[in-house]
Order: sequence, then structure tokens, then C-alpha cells
Amino acid sequence: MASAVSPMLVRLTEEKATGVLVRDHGALYLVDGEVVHAESPAAPGLDVLLTASGRLPREGWEEAVAEAGVRREVGRHLVASGRLGCGELEICHLGALFDAAYFALTPCSGPTRFRYGVGHWIGRVRPVPTPVVEREALRRGALLDSIWPHPEIDAAPVVPRDPGPGRGPTRRQATVLALADGVRTPPDIARMLGRPAFNTLLDVRRLAAAGLVDTAVRPSGPPPERPALPAWVPEVSDDPDIALLRRLRDALEATL
Amino acid sequence: MANTETALKEATTAIEGAVGAALVDYTSGMALGTIGGGKDLDLNVAAAGNTDVVRAKVRTMELLGMQDEIEDILITLGTQYHLIRLLKGRNHSGLFLYLALDKQRANLAMARHQLKRIEADLEV
Repeated sequence: MASAVSPMLVRLTEEKATGVLVRDHGALYLVDGEVVHAESPAAPGLDVLLTASGRLPREGWEEAVAEAGVRREVGRHLVASGRLGCGELEICHLGALFDAAYFALTPCSGPTRFRYGVGHWIGRVRPVPTPVVEREALRRGALLDSIWPHPEIDAAPVVPRDPGPGRGPTRRQATVLALADGVRTPPDIARMLGRPAFNTLLDVRRLAAAGLVDTAVRPSGPPPERPALPAWVPEVSDDPDIALLRRLRDALEATL
Repeated sequence: MANTETALKEATTAIEGAVGAALVDYTSGMALGTIGGGKDLDLNVAAAGNTDVVRAKVRTMELLGMQDEIEDILITLGTQYHLIRLLKGRNHSGLFLYLALDKQRANLAMARHQLKRIEADLEV
């Protein structure tokens, strides 16, 4: 798929805009048309990724936000104050950025808004060109679908299934299953583990393909409507002319 | 203390025979940074593909019940070496450095040693 994920994003990139793009499932922060940060309710933030692994104590993070948040330099401050290595911050931030951007760029029906001039308190860590972010979001979608082409399970509660004989889950997948209580969704589990949400989606799709989780997703909305007939098909009468249809059938059979 | 870009630059300039390098998140298959490569070697494709190599080896070790860890994986081609070095960071299990070397010019032992040093510089 070569088409752009969001036409608005293409335009903002061209005009080298600075601000925040808000969509249904998340937000992208731009500086001079490049992506500097992304956030999504589905993706654990940088704070979760750093503190859940024990790399940074929660207080350390909060102090940095309190000290440098107003100046919008939390990222730089984490390094300057010796809490994180420069490469470490960059890698972790990029991981969080691409993770949230995947959700923020999922096709949505709601409005897309851009607020000029709005910045994020994390500050500038490593800007990523917008086309790179878009390409990665598309690659991620295609990767998920190549494993198990049913996106419904991404947001549904994870329900483990009796594995039966055969190979069990991998060690990594087992940690996901251990937290699956039939209520938590993949993003919930990702947050508890302090892992990027996309990585947990991959785990869950692989588990689905291996038959290790329940894939009968309970519909959350109204059942899908009957597929609409193409416009060129005239309205079908509730009371079809049976006699006419019979004559048509006979005529067709006679000619074939 | 280096950032991704300088670490990768170091890998391709300091290591004799290096044709390209990438830092890859092997769960998502994403290259966090690439350098070199060119039209003969698309490092983004190499990054995504080699995550399957790493995943298969990790899985095999699990099935064998080996409690060891992978330091690096070497793939020898006719004309190139491909070296995959798994990073053992405090926070970043799940990353590897990928290095493609010209077989004619490279010194494998030296390259492995230098890659280890670059990992330490990256401080992940």
C-alpha cells in the first residue's frame, strides 16, 4: 500500500508545521514537519516503559518532569542529570514514539485536528521524518495481518485456550498469557509488563495463530448490516413476480 | 556515551570491511537506525527479516531447555559476513546490532571485538 495514511499529515509535513495532530486513537507532535513525539491511550508512555523495567525509579521520573517539564526539556534533563544514557533515552523514546504512532495512524472515521504551536514537555529527543513514521505504521499493520489477519483481537480481552498436545507458548508469550484473565486487553497487558503495546499485539496474534488464545471475539457493537447492494441493482421487490422469473429461467435454459 | 547515529557510524567506519549496519528491535522488526547498505542491501528489509532468525534461535534454545543466552549469530555468505549481536541492556532486551561485512576485507575476530565495544558505548 503506497497511499498516505493521513493526507493531512502529508500537507503538514510539506508546510513544515509545528504543533499536535490529534486523531481518534492518538496524537502526533510535530516540529518543523518532523515527528518528535507520539502518544496514544493504547500505548504505554515512556514513563511506563522506563519505570516498569526498574531502569528508572518512579521518583526519578517525576523529579525530572517537575524540574524540566515547564521548559519542555524532560528528555534532555534525564540525560543531563545522569539518570539515563543518551543512547538509552533515544532508543527507548523511539520505541515509544513508533509504538504510539502506529495506533495514532490507524485508519479512523473521526475528525483529525491540528493545533499549531503546541509542543510536548518531553522536548526534542530525535525527530523522525514523517514518511518514515507512516511507512513504519503501514509495515506494522501488514506484519500483524501476515500472522493472523483478524484485527478484532487487538482490542478484545485475551482469553487463554487449553493448548492441548503440541508446542506451548514461548517464554515471552507465557508472560502475556499469565496476565490474561479474560478481562484485560492486549494494551492492558502491555502496560502491566512495561512493554510496547504493538509488541504485545504481535504476541497475541501469534498466540491466536497457534491456537493458544480464544479467537471468537464477542461482538462489541451491533451486528454488521447486510452488505449493501451496488447502486446499479434496482430495489428488489418484496413480492417478486414468480411467473416472470420462471419464464426467464426457462428461456435461459433453452438458450444455454 | 553515544547515541544511535554515532554508534552506527562508528561501526561502519572503525570496522574494516563494513558495508552496512543497523540497530534493530527484534520484537517489532523495526530498524531504529541504519547506516550504509545501499541499493544492493536494503537494511530495513534485512532488519525485519533477521528478526525471524533471532526469534527462531531464541525459541530453539527454549525448546532445548538451555538456560544460556545468545551473544552473537554469524551468517557466512559467499561474499559477505552478516553478524548479529544481541544487546544485553538493563532496559532493552530485544535489540540487536546487525553488521554486514565484505568477506574479502573483513577480519572477523576483530569485527566481533569492535562490535562488543560499540555496544558498550551505546550504553543500552
